[in-house]
Amino acid sequence: MVSSRQIEHIAAAWLARRDSGRWSAADEASLDEWLADATAHKVAFLRLEAAWREAGRLQALGAGLSGDRVPPPGRWAQPHEVELAAPSVSRRRHTRRRPLLRWLTGAAAVAVLAVAGTVSWQRGGIEPVVQYDTAVGQLSEVSLSDGSQATLSSDSRIRVAWTRNRRQIDLERGEAYFHVAKNPGKPFVVEAGKRQVVAVGTRFAVRRDGDALRVVVTEGVVRLEPAGADGKGSLSTLLPAGSVAQLDGNGLLVRSLPLAQAKRYLDWRDGYVSFHDTPLASAVMELNRYSVRKIVVVDPAIAHLPLGGHFRWSNTQAFVNLLTAAFPVRAVQQGNQVLLYAR
Amino acid sequence: MDDTLDAWFIREIVVHEAALTRLLQRICLQRDDVHDLRQEVYVRVYEAAGKNLPTQPKAFLFSTARHLVTDRLRRSRVVAIDAVGDIDALNVLIDEISPERRLDGRQILKRLADAFDQLPARCREVVWMRKVQELPQKAVAEQLRITEKTVEKQVAKGVRLIADHFYGEGVGHRAAPQQHASLPNEAVHGQQPTD
Repeated sequence: MVSSRQIEHIAAAWLARRDSGRWSAADEASLDEWLADATAHKVAFLRLEAAWREAGRLQALGAGLSGDRVPPPGRWAQPHEVELAAPSVSRRRHTRRRPLLRWLTGAAAVAVLAVAGTVSWQRGGIEPVVQYDTAVGQLSEVSLSDGSQATLSSDSRIRVAWTRNRRQIDLERGEAYFHVAKNPGKPFVVEAGKRQVVAVGTRFAVRRDGDALRVVVTEGVVRLEPAGADGKGSLSTLLPAGSVAQLDGNGLLVRSLPLAQAKRYLDWRDGYVSFHDTPLASAVMELNRYSVRKIVVVDPAIAHLPLGGHFRWSNTQAFVNLLTAAFPVRAVQQGNQVLLYAR
Repeated sequence: MDDTLDAWFIREIVVHEAALTRLLQRICLQRDDVHDLRQEVYVRVYEAAGKNLPTQPKAFLFSTARHLVTDRLRRSRVVAIDAVGDIDALNVLIDEISPERRLDGRQILKRLADAFDQLPARCREVVWMRKVQELPQKAVAEQLRITEKTVEKQVAKGVRLIADHFYGEGVGHRAAPQQHASLPNEAVHGQQPTD
């Protein structure tokens, strides 16, 4: 089979031949024949022919130049130098931005709102307690008064309470990623149900599903311990960067992963979720965190289909479309649900 | 030959080549595959348009690409799931990344100048003499003291490289971007978090 590149080369050769001034009626007939052979020939030729025709406009740029020497690259277009009105897309792609902001300005952006916290006072507090909430499908970045940053995932709630000797955050539900400002005198404590995660200056995420807990550490060290502990008990676990700790009714599982791999658990901040050999049922559960339109795996036969990849959590439809295209899976829309069956 | 169809194909379809190429690059990392896929998309669009000219060429082009990609995915499961974000991105491409590429005259000139400056030295010389000075290939050969056959070869090369740069912004000649590189959809309408 002839590759598209080979076809392009042949088309270019025809064009150059026709340009040569040694072009006969017989050549014309052969070219017509070649073009009629396959649409692939035709489109390749049309494209090159149009570009070559456009190249005739180079005269407009050459007009201001004297002599018949070829001008040096980059300088010859000077008299007519113009700037492209729109920035090129490729340039934009390299623009460095904070991930959240990048995600935020994306086309499919579900609004990331700076949540106006609900304020109340707590006994012993030195500042009012502030509560931050996000709705399903919403992310929120919060700047705390100590200089720390919190990023709330979909459907999450934290309460921030500063006391004299500690910075206390209650994670009531969902997940939050913290970039903690260093302050050795005042530990930063995230309490989630019966456990707490203690940090001094570091980056980590805590997720809470009822009593189940997940902690992902991406910088520094945090301490996971029973709520209210002082760090000296035997139930404290130190989690260095790269740790992914999962705690549920069965106990605590800590994995030490390469940092890049651990960070994949935090892709939600950029608008993505990542899967790697993840059973369909788990992947669906993950995506459902971010969507009011829930996917339901009805057929147990497909619940364990392994899948991997990088998905935009704001677009469950694309996920479903691909699933039904690539796997023996059938999707049925029902109200605000998408039901998945084996096909 | 149907000149109307041919002109339509260049005016409405090939102008979106840069966006199309970027999309395909994300889906398959082999450069030659991208080239093959692109050709296949063009073939399908051209053939369909021959029967019935689409009223919304750009949307038609990208939906054709989408179908083609989905077909491919069905055949090879390995690539499959990784491309989801890109199928998604495809919609973004239609709406945002590929703004109507109606370049005005000055922009076209700038683009051409860039394309021209990217050519290898000898090729550049030959193209200049042919297109700007309008010398016949024979005269070009005499001036440069090379054979007419060589001139013809340089013209063929120039045609290909200019087309790649002019329509594709030279995308085909760069390494494929990282598969999950951020979608180039920022800076469209930013909303700042006001925390």
